[in-house]
Amino acid sequence: MAKIVEHKEDEIFDIELEETILKKNEAFAEKNSDLFKTHNIKTIDIMGSIGSGKTSLIEAMIKRLKEKHQIAVLNGDLTTTIDSDRVAKHGVNVIQINTGKECHLDANLVSKALENMELDQLDLIIIENVGNLICPGEFPLGAEKRLVVISVTEGPYMVLKHPFIFMEANVVVINKLDLAEAMNVEFEKLKADVMRINPKAEVIGTSCKNDKGIIYVIGALNLN
Amino acid sequence: MHELSMASNIIEIAIHEANKRNATSVIEVNLVVGKYSMLGLEQLRYCYDLLIKNTLLKNSKLNMENEDGKINCDKCKYEGPVQLKEDPEYHIIFPTLVCPKCGNPAEIISGRDCYIKSLRVKT
Repeated sequence: MAKIVEHKEDEIFDIELEETILKKNEAFAEKNSDLFKTHNIKTIDIMGSIGSGKTSLIEAMIKRLKEKHQIAVLNGDLTTTIDSDRVAKHGVNVIQINTGKECHLDANLVSKALENMELDQLDLIIIENVGNLICPGEFPLGAEKRLVVISVTEGPYMVLKHPFIFMEANVVVINKLDLAEAMNVEFEKLKADVMRINPKAEVIGTSCKNDKGIIYVIGALNLN
Repeated sequence: MHELSMASNIIEIAIHEANKRNATSVIEVNLVVGKYSMLGLEQLRYCYDLLIKNTLLKNSKLNMENEDGKINCDKCKYEGPVQLKEDPEYHIIFPTLVCPKCGNPAEIISGRDCYIKSLRVKT
């Protein structure tokens, strides 16, 4: 009969692990990323401050991309369908993810949304994260590229005050350049702030309202 | 950021591992905190102490060990620590992603994570 080794009562012993704390989100992010690769879908995670122009940027991009691409948009907000309604008007598939009180999208929520989508019919998914320059950076969704949008109307210190999210960005968009003069905010200074934190990021100025700079964003994301 | 959800995750992992081995209590959690994880250790400890009440981890000790950060430069192949710049425009220290040897953009390859190295449990 095999000898059974067990811990005795009141015995103290050590368990060795190497569990990263955010492993749950990491696992979902990897699952999402694998799905995107299997179905050949390019995915962009668009983060940014509240009211910076994330939805406007997505609308401007879709107008140019929907002829050549099969697009779906996932929109994250605490509540309402305001943003997804705007995007739906362009004739693309949209799913609204309402997070309740959670201040960022996480990979699990995105994973759940993907379960309700016909991935075979898509080649581009744009995810609009919750407006927030602090938390989303910590929760990768499994997207291929991460883009951060800020606008000149938030003043000159947004990059300096939120370095961590800019460390995560592949592309940074500085929007509402048409108002830069009125705000006394300089694009070049904001760009320099980004380059100091993340020299690899591509920084692009836009005015989504006037449809300016959008092609450069599309180029930076390799979506031509 | 989110020290509360981090603490909650740590406790969840510890309870899961303890239950797997039929332990009745967790005495110690040994955490490795990466230098570039930017976690607020005091807040983490505060949240941990709040959340362990009435769990298997009641009265347990949370030990935190530092792990050095390392960056990797594509251009000159440098691998090692980077200066944490004390920039007068910032109130906290954060790593600049620039190679200290050649000034090229670099990537963080370790020190970003926070992980549980081991647990001490009692059956």
